[in-house]
Amino acid sequence: MFNRRTLAIIKRELRTKLFSKSFILMTLLVPLFMILIFSIQYFIHSMSDEQRSDIIIVSDSDEILNKVENEIFQTSAFKSGDLTSRTEKSEINNFESKLNQLKSDLINQRVTGVVFIPSSALQTKEVKYYSANPNNSTLFYKIKPSINKALVEIYFSGKQLTQEEIKFARKDVDISGFRVSSDKEVAQEGYGNRIAMVLFSFLLYMALLFSGSMTMNAVVEEKSNKIVEVLLSSASSTELMAGKILGTVIVELIQMAIWLSPMFLLLTTSWFFIPAEFMPQMSIGYIFYFLFNYGLALITYVALYATVGAIFDNPQDAQSGVWPLMLLIMIPFFIALGLESNSQTSLAIITSLLPFASLIVMPARILMVEVPMWQVLLAIVINVVVLIGIFKLAGKIYRIGILLTGKKPKWSEVFRWLKLSN
Amino acid sequence: MNALEVKNLTKRFSGLTAVDNASFSVSEGSVFGLIGRNGAGKTTTIRMMLNIYFPDEGEVLFRGKKTEQDFKDIVGYLPEERGLYKKMKVIDMLLFLSELKGKKGNQVLKSANYYLERFELADRKNSKVEDLSKGNQQKIQFIGTILHDPDFLIFDEPFSGLDPINTNLLKEIILEMKQKGKVVIFSTHLMEFAEKMCDSIAMIDKGKIILNGKLNDIKAKYASRNVSLDYQGNISFLNNHSLVESVEDFGNTTGIRLKNENTDQQLLKLLIENNIAIKKFNVDEISLYEIFISLAGKEVTDVQ
Repeated sequence: MFNRRTLAIIKRELRTKLFSKSFILMTLLVPLFMILIFSIQYFIHSMSDEQRSDIIIVSDSDEILNKVENEIFQTSAFKSGDLTSRTEKSEINNFESKLNQLKSDLINQRVTGVVFIPSSALQTKEVKYYSANPNNSTLFYKIKPSINKALVEIYFSGKQLTQEEIKFARKDVDISGFRVSSDKEVAQEGYGNRIAMVLFSFLLYMALLFSGSMTMNAVVEEKSNKIVEVLLSSASSTELMAGKILGTVIVELIQMAIWLSPMFLLLTTSWFFIPAEFMPQMSIGYIFYFLFNYGLALITYVALYATVGAIFDNPQDAQSGVWPLMLLIMIPFFIALGLESNSQTSLAIITSLLPFASLIVMPARILMVEVPMWQVLLAIVINVVVLIGIFKLAGKIYRIGILLTGKKPKWSEVFRWLKLSN
Repeated sequence: MNALEVKNLTKRFSGLTAVDNASFSVSEGSVFGLIGRNGAGKTTTIRMMLNIYFPDEGEVLFRGKKTEQDFKDIVGYLPEERGLYKKMKVIDMLLFLSELKGKKGNQVLKSANYYLERFELADRKNSKVEDLSKGNQQKIQFIGTILHDPDFLIFDEPFSGLDPINTNLLKEIILEMKQKGKVVIFSTHLMEFAEKMCDSIAMIDKGKIILNGKLNDIKAKYASRNVSLDYQGNISFLNNHSLVESVEDFGNTTGIRLKNENTDQQLLKLLIENNIAIKKFNVDEISLYEIFISLAGKEVTDVQ
């Protein structure tokens, strides 16, 4: 399978692809595109943060009103002008009519919401919020600590407590995550690995989809412009397929290595500075593992895409035949993204060992938790075995499909090709 | 000596037998024509000869051995539907095709330049293939077929879609290769070309080889029973005559096939007795087309 003809085909692939405009453009554009996606997400996130809120705090107790207002004045949201509030005193019995007066303002969004803190809240801590949009978690996040602090302070002020004790009671609980691994030190966990996981999964997903469909279209094109028969008079279909796939894999690996080089430099040098909490905890070995795994994934998926390309003789039909393959990439990608909230689900563990899925889920999982070495190796072995199987099947379909033109073959026919012995 | 021997080749495609037990042989240094109408099984046969298709039955022997990769290396193949990488530069395309055959380096580059010069394309060698006219792309395809100096040339319907200039160019190549002692095999439905160029032929119809051998032998065999006739008058009386097997009207001439060999003088006498004015009476002349018709039947319309 590997001989001078395969080599000649690989060389042609490299020469035409590495120096093509689209390769250079992609190499530059993908990082830009990723930055764009992340900044759009960040922008959308901060948009919901920055929305101005005008609230009215209503209570039957002056003390509550004063303390809560004081606390709100100290929040950063108030200082930046994102949050304004005024207080209104109302007896509990009159609150209904007060709310009725404010109803049109609430509906027209002139007032974001009314927070009703009755004196009973000093016992129950139950507060009511009235708004056209009552599930505004961003707002709750901003005002809840202030209300809590005010209530705690009033509650304890009658009791004989020191300022220290009240300060303790007012303080919210602060949870920091620490990653426990077999390394000696227990490292404090920042956002770094989560960001890296999303980033790497996304890169893998995009690169696989893209290189797959590029290969498919190239095969369809070779088929439809008839060059393939000329090539087959020199080389066998297996050599042709192997050369095509390996050529693509080498090109894509080079591209991925370029994309990962900033990460590599980040880990090995001090040229870049990023805040400690965004610094991913990963070894250089991971980068190499990622590239190796990407190589396996490329061979697997590119072979499948090339096979689909060989079955059809025009891009439209090929596109309609390729959806099962796209699912095979998309589903693991979404499972990988799901690891962000909890990376130890049984779904994650199982899919990180399944053929196809593990190619995408395993590298993501390794970034989130410490995966036992045997699982990583097992996934690699499984994928290599599947890959060899795929190469054999793909070779059979490719050999028959590549010269077939005209009518779009039925899937049943394609399965019959698999049964043919030679 | 036989350079290539095709033995009992059979190929079926989902129930349809495209090639049915085909056997013929091609001798060293000859020009061989595989002749038949469209869809007769010519391309399938050629693809099996090149190991592109694997036959369901039968085998192809190259100098006595089963054809393998070593055969592909010394073949230059021009498929009926031609194709090149459109985005590649002309010179890169040629060198790539040669490299696949195991020929690279200065020698190939030199002969690529030689052929580009000869076909008046030297100034286009750094152009992309897609920027060339269709006729020039065909020329590039010819060069790609012969650049690695193959011992065997296989052309599938080489003259289809060629302009007159390229048709002559290709004829030139075929004759040149023949002079160099190479084996040239081509398939065609154009009997006229086959007749002018081939040493031997095989006729294929509905997947079966219906005739095969040296062109001269075939013609000699069929000629003694065939008469081509230019005349004035009414010859309808021949239709049911005991001497005559069939009468074929080819427009300018009429072909008459006799039931028995060496009865042509009796036919001539018969015509004179019936007051037919004879302009031309030719016993030896029979075209491949006439032979083909007599073998494959009258429904043939796409051969000439």
